[in-house]
Amino acid sequence: MSMELSFDRKAHEKERLAFVRSYAAWVKRTPNAEWSRQQGALIDSFFENGRNMPLSRKEYLERVAVKKRVRP
Amino acid sequence: MDIQYSGRRIVVSEKYLTLLDRFVLDFIRILEQETPYVIVSGYVAILFGRSRGTEDVDILVPHLEKPSFSRLYRALLDGGYEFLNAEDADGLFDMLNKRMGIRVARKEQFIPNIELKFVKDEVDRIVLRDRVEVNLPGADVYISAIEIQIAYKLFLGSQKDIEDALFLYEIFREDLDPTILKQRMESFGVRGDEYGIVV
Repeated sequence: MSMELSFDRKAHEKERLAFVRSYAAWVKRTPNAEWSRQQGALIDSFFENGRNMPLSRKEYLERVAVKKRVRP
Repeated sequence: MDIQYSGRRIVVSEKYLTLLDRFVLDFIRILEQETPYVIVSGYVAILFGRSRGTEDVDILVPHLEKPSFSRLYRALLDGGYEFLNAEDADGLFDMLNKRMGIRVARKEQFIPNIELKFVKDEVDRIVLRDRVEVNLPGADVYISAIEIQIAYKLFLGSQKDIEDALFLYEIFREDLDPTILKQRMESFGVRGDEYGIVV
């Protein structure tokens, strides 16, 4: 990996962490009914999308096994 | 966010229950008829607002005897679930005893799914022993203590895991026990300074 690519990855990670901090701050200052409604729209869409997974059960299990093997 | 945190109990009033929350709550309604449990990993952060999806929800249970597992197996099938692994009840029980996870989903829908495991070591036993009750509108769930969850996520170390750890830290920083968090981070051999998780 080139130095330039490596730098970009670090910058991206830092930006992601800054987003998590500011998002957590928003959740903390927002009433439960409101943050959970907005988060729910995202989570529910993931849930509905799960029904469209174009994999067989066997392929899915193979995929999660590979993901676990490469996890740090 | 209005959270009442008192050590072993967290009350989250007026939370909208997502389809994922309902999936988890429906599953544990059957599970807890047979055994205590604790939910660990990504769903814990999502429960408190983290804006990401997940394919699976990890749940630890103590070692079950064969008759108890057989009852759970039957109750889940009767309740509209199926096991994603190809093994029969005996094979699934063997997998659990070999420290492997087995996956359970609603029939004909394998995402999301529950990855169920027997506790396998001292860390797992502490996680189960120190589980925290979360009171949601109309239902309760047991999750891993936040301090150990943060340390474990840092230990796993992927970008997603670090973000989960940071999110939980930011949400609960005023309520966490710094001594316990420090102990947990030391036992996992992790530090959080570079991410702003300071103990």
